[in-house]
Parts: sequence; structure tokens; C-alpha cells
Amino acid sequence: MDFVFGLLQIIGVHSLIGLSAYVVLLTGQITLAQAGFVAVGAYVAAMLTVLVGWPLMPALAVAALVAAFVAMTVGFPALRVKGLMLVIATLAFGEAVRLFFFNFDYQIAKGDVRVGPLGGEGFRQIRYFPENGWSTLEVMLFVWMFVALAIAVLWWIDRSRFGAVLRAVGEDELAAQASGINLTAVKVAAMTIGGGLAGLAGGLYAHYTTHIEHLSFNISLAIFAVAYPILGGTRSVFGTILAVVFVQGLLIEGLRFLGDWRNLLFGALIVLVMNVRPDGLLSLDAWRWAKKKTGAKHGAA
Amino acid sequence: MALLELNAVARHFGGVKAVDGLDLKVEQGAVFGLIGPNGSGKSTTVNLITGVYGLSAGSVQFDGQDISETPIHRRLGLGISRTFQNIRLFGRLTVWQNLWVAQNSQADQRRQRFLGRWLGGSRGAKSEIQPLLEFAGLAHKADELAANLAFGDQRKLELARALSSNPKLILLDEPAAGMNIEGIAELDQRIQAIKLRGTTVLLIEHHMELVMAVSDQIAVLNFGQKIAQGTPAQIQSDTLVKKAYLGGDEQ
Amino acid sequence: MFGFVQALFDGVLFGATYALIGIGFTLVFGVMRKINMAYAASSIGGAYIGLIALSLMPQVPAIAVFALAVLAGGALGCFVYVTCFHFIPLSNPRATLMSTIGMTLLIEEVIVHATNGAPRNYPAMFDDLMLEAAGFSFRGDLLLIFALSCVSMGILLVVLYRTSLGLATRAVSQQAVAAQLCGVRVGQVNALTFVIAGLLGGLAGALIGASVGTLSPLLVLPLTVKGLIVTVIGGLGSIPGAIIAGLAVGGFENVLQQWRGVTERDLYVMLLLFAFLVFRPGGIFAPKIGRD
Repeated sequence: MDFVFGLLQIIGVHSLIGLSAYVVLLTGQITLAQAGFVAVGAYVAAMLTVLVGWPLMPALAVAALVAAFVAMTVGFPALRVKGLMLVIATLAFGEAVRLFFFNFDYQIAKGDVRVGPLGGEGFRQIRYFPENGWSTLEVMLFVWMFVALAIAVLWWIDRSRFGAVLRAVGEDELAAQASGINLTAVKVAAMTIGGGLAGLAGGLYAHYTTHIEHLSFNISLAIFAVAYPILGGTRSVFGTILAVVFVQGLLIEGLRFLGDWRNLLFGALIVLVMNVRPDGLLSLDAWRWAKKKTGAKHGAA
Repeated sequence: MALLELNAVARHFGGVKAVDGLDLKVEQGAVFGLIGPNGSGKSTTVNLITGVYGLSAGSVQFDGQDISETPIHRRLGLGISRTFQNIRLFGRLTVWQNLWVAQNSQADQRRQRFLGRWLGGSRGAKSEIQPLLEFAGLAHKADELAANLAFGDQRKLELARALSSNPKLILLDEPAAGMNIEGIAELDQRIQAIKLRGTTVLLIEHHMELVMAVSDQIAVLNFGQKIAQGTPAQIQSDTLVKKAYLGGDEQ
Repeated sequence: MFGFVQALFDGVLFGATYALIGIGFTLVFGVMRKINMAYAASSIGGAYIGLIALSLMPQVPAIAVFALAVLAGGALGCFVYVTCFHFIPLSNPRATLMSTIGMTLLIEEVIVHATNGAPRNYPAMFDDLMLEAAGFSFRGDLLLIFALSCVSMGILLVVLYRTSLGLATRAVSQQAVAAQLCGVRVGQVNALTFVIAGLLGGLAGALIGASVGTLSPLLVLPLTVKGLIVTVIGGLGSIPGAIIAGLAVGGFENVLQQWRGVTERDLYVMLLLFAFLVFRPGGIFAPKIGRD
């Protein structure tokens, strides 16, 4: 059972990471920087619990805030460039963060052991969960509590004017400006929210794996982060969740028997899906069909 | 003092003078028509007024303020709104949402608190949006995606969106393009209704009958310069204008 | 000081390969307004395929390996075009971006599987040759890399500006619809652009393998990032920009490695990109090609 809980933990954290890219994608920006924000959240949260002895919740809160702040400051210069340039800029930023942590040493002595991040070796002994007697099940539920919260918040935003404004910016920037929308403010806001979500994911990740290093936050993770909302489509947050379950659950775990061929399949799958369903797995028609079936009211969403 | 003043406005693209030394005064409450052959600079003028293009020379004054350097999105807050020649709706948003996002006038900002305005559900804005829906005749289609609307409905929606911020000046960029006779008659009525509300209208159009019928003043552009200005009757009898058009363009 | 200047020369010579990769990215962007993220991957892939010549005939000269790598690069370019661009509607740039990212992962994994993850040695030419001038030494193989890169860039410019194919390519990049109306087969031109870029890429991959001495799938992602940096700094769509930026990044990178070591080197390259994005987002040469 522990194995299933572990898998659900991974799906939970990746859902948060996917949602962090989803928010930014609503405004029409593809961000490859989320892995960097995850890294920031992971290291900050871990340093707070291990080096300073903080309890987990405040550590996670600070990690999310720091990551959100970093996202905001990166957002301002990065969002001066459009489209493809932003993709490259965010990719470079994510890599810069990873390289920073690759070179980052900060160790203190705890008893007769040295703890803390050590450059390429990473940050070991993040033992908050074991030291406080958390079971795998409890950790998994803890992660999913945050996922549920994130989904609720994003769902609520989507029904609000801010959600419509986000999507308007993603639809047509000129029309949005002519309608009085400040593009930079909206894009930076989306980037900041995404950064916070990613930081939270990072903090959770650091604690359930107990060992983080720069390679955990490489381009691969950045690609996964943005692949989820693209594969899932931007019609609804559930598209992203579905994509995470599909990729992590089916592809990576379910096809374990295929061994190393899984990664190859992932790449091929992306190419295939983009050719067959360029708007994502949950396309507009599929979404409307699902809504009709569940009898959900459209309301103003 | 006129609501909108263009003083010696110019816009160059490389060697091309799209607009050159243009003086325009649009009085408050008027319907002001802007006509001219293709390439005469009408669309460029609209883009200069709304801030999409920067000025190469001259200045734009609105309601007593110099707005030459004001960014596009702030001009809406000052009271200038527009429609687009090629309809630019938010296709994957509903009719309601299209109207909702444009609600950003200064009056609105003062009236509603910040959080309420941004995070509020649709109910809060109902009192402002419902009249707009009815004005556009789209109340029964509030939840339809804008991209799925018929062409005529899309034009109505774009007009309603431009009106949703209660602008002082609305720029209509070729609103009659692609419309049939009934559509144009409806458009005529709508422009009259807008004028009745006290909103000033700047109308860029090719459709001569419509322009002549609704405008109080008309300015004629050719090669980026104003070649004539006057009432519809005056313009119709102006020889320079006739030369510029070579008698054509009547629908 | 001397060491830095030497590092600069070495870096600039090696930077010619970055210039080739940058040209490939910028060529596709200029014509199709899209980035082919799989370009570096297919370049390395082409280089690997070149090695097949070696396994068939162990005594074959290095030039044959290079030639095969070039051809393979071109073939891979065509393959990427068909699988990632041809069928996806142009109005959906997100989908092509994602599919080329997927293709990058795919190519990288195929390489890993085909080679069992072990790095492969790459033949070099003139690697035992050392030229001395003004107190500085120039590695023979780096000089060759530089020369070959320059020759291929020259050929590319001739093709673009002196042939009808080049004319068609430039026409499509400026006004695709109008070009179609003039009888240009846009699909074919796009595919051929990919092939041409692929040929350059295959050469770049081979040259990189030759100068580093080994080829490994770990080269793919860093090369992708560097190629994109070069393209952006040079100006998206500008070939002269990519050339100058490639040489500059090569030189910059090597000098920084000399100064701060390998682990910190890449960090500074990222910061260089960021500086450009903040102060000069158009790149060194904002392109004259502009479609709306």
C-alpha cells in the first residue's frame, strides 16, 4: 500500500507543479521556469525545518512566499519579451536557478553531524516527516489537502472577473489593452501565483523525498510542468490534473514493465497528442459534453 | 474646447507618411465621421488616438489632457473606447465574460472596492452588464462562446463591449463592413442611441449612406491629410472630395 | 591575462559550432515563425548516425563520418518537419512547441537506447596539429572546425541569396500567403528549410563531437539551451546575428571557464542572456524579415 501512497504523493506534487504552469498558461505565456521556483521552495522549506528547526506549516508558507516573490521579480523583466522569447527566457532562468543551487553550500553542525545543502551533493537528511512520526498515508493526505485547496482556489478564480481577465489576455492582447487591461500587471500576477504554487510543491517534495539536489529540478521537470497544462488543455484545471494522472500514473508507473522504454514513449506520446489534439486532451467539445452529462449549470463561467 | 483634439499629428512608417500634419477637433456629443479612400490614413488615425501607434509628431488632447504618451490600457480609464475593423472578441470567453472584462472605467473603480471587483462572482456585476446585453440584443445568449456567435451578433457584442466602460468617446472602426441592409439600419439606430446617451462618436466608414445619415460633421482624409471638413451636405458638394473618390465608393 | 586571451581564441573557434546551431534555430524561426526545439537533438542525432560509417568500416577516414553526419542531419530535419510541423495547424504555436519538445526527448531516448547510455568516441581531424602565432597556440582541429563552419555558412548565404530556392524561402518568410499565390509551394519550401538547417546541424554535431572527443546524449539539452541563447542574443531571425552571437558566446563561455571554473561557467552564460533580454530584447540585429 505504501507504494500506492508514494505514487499518489508524486501525482499530488506534480499536480501542484502543473497547476502553477496552468495559471501562467491562461495568459498565453508558456513558462519553462517553474522548475526553478520549485527548487527555491524546496531549498527554503528544507533549510527552515532542518537548519532553523521550524515546524512544517510556517516553513511551507514562507517557501511559497519566497518563490512567489522570486517569480514576481523575474516576471517583470522576462515579461517585456513576448511569446517564444519568453519561453527561452524562462528556460534560461530555470537553468540559472539550478546552477545556483549546484554551487550553493550552507552547512551547520548539528551535534556531531553537518547538515545543509552542499553544492552538487545536494541537501540530505530532510527528516521532518520521519522525526515527527508521519506515516506515508498521512503525508499523502497532507499533500492532497494542498492540491484540493489549490484546485478550489483556481476554480474560484476562474469564475471571477480576474479569471476572465487572465483568459482575455491569453486570447487577444490588443483587445485586452483596448478594454483597459494592464497586460504587464496581469501577466506578472499570474507568474507570481504560479511561483507560489510551485514553491509550495517544492517544499512538500523536499520533505517527502528527504534528499534534494540540483538535478531534481532540471529541464526535464520544467518540461513536465508545462506539458501537463498543454496536454490537458486550458479549458479547466481538471485537464491538467488528468494529464498528471495519465503521465505519472499510466505512463511512468503503469508501464513500468516496459522499463527504460517509458521515457521514449513519453516523448512519442507528446508528439502524437499534439498532432491529433493540438488543443489538449480535454478539448472544448469534450469539456462541454462532460458538462452536459453531469448537468452542471453554465452560470457565468 | 473640443473633447478630442489632434494637433499637427503625424505618423511615419519608414518613408511612408501614413498620417501627415493632421488637425482634427471633435466636439462633445457629436457624431463625427471620418472618410477617405483606401490607404488615406483612417485606420492609422484611429490607432494613434487609441495609442496603438505612437506619434511621430504632433499631439493628441483628450478632455483637456495631453494623452500623447498615455499607454493603451489607460486611455480606456480616461474615457476612450473602440471597436476593431476585424472583430477582436475574446473568442473562447462567453458573451457575458466579454462584457465583464471591459468594465474598468474610473466610475466603476470608484464605485466598487478592489477585491469585490476583481474576485467577485458574476452576480455583482449583473446590474451593469444586463442593460448592455439588452442593448446588444444578446440577453438570451449570455453564456454562448463569443466565437460561436453569428457575424452580426459578434459585431453587436463588440459594440456593447466598447460601451461597457461608459466611455466619453467611442471610436467605431468600419462597423458596417460585411453587413447587409438590415444590419446597417440597426447600426444607424444604435449610433443614434449612443449619441442620445451623451457619448461622442468618431465613425470611420466606407459606407457613404450611413455616414451621411448619422454624422453631424465629416472630415475627409486623403494621403494622410485632411482635405475637407464640414456637414454632410457640404462634403457631398465639395469638388476636392469628389476628385479624391472619383465618384466611386457609394454603396 | 595571457591565459584569458588564449581561452578567448579557443572559445571563439569552438563558438563557430554554436553559430551553426544558432543559424539552424534562426532559419526555421525566420521562415515559419516557430522554434524547432528538437534542432540540437537532431544535430547530435545526425552526428551519432555518422558513427555508423565507422562501425561499418573501421578504417574509414573522419571526413566520411562527417559527411554521413551531415546527410543524416538533413534527413532528421525532414523527419522533424513532417512529424511536428506539417500536420499541426499554424495557428497553434503552442502545439508545435510542445511537439518539438517531445521530439527532443524522443531523440535523446533513442540515442540512449541505441548506445546503452555509454559515450562514444568521435574521430577528429588534425587534432595533433598545433599552430603557433604571436605567442598563442591554435589547435588544428579547432581551426578546422572554424573553417568548415565558415565554409558552410558561406554556402548557406549563397543558397539563400543566389538561388531560386533561397528566393522562395525568403519570400515565404516575409509573406507566406502572397508567396503561395505566386506559385510557391509553401509546404515544400518549409520542408526544404528544415532539411537545409538539418544539414548544417548534422555538421555542427559532428564538429562538436570531434572537438570534445566524445559524443554523449547528455550533450543534447545543454546544447539546446545554448543554441537558443545564441539565437536570442543574435536576434530571432537574423543569420548574421546568430553567427556573431555564436562566436561571442563561445569566447565568453571559455573565458569564464578559465576564470571561475566549469561549474559556474553556465550560470554566467544564463546571466548574459538575461542581460540581453532586459536591455536589448531584439538581440544584436533585430531582423529585417517581419511578418504580421
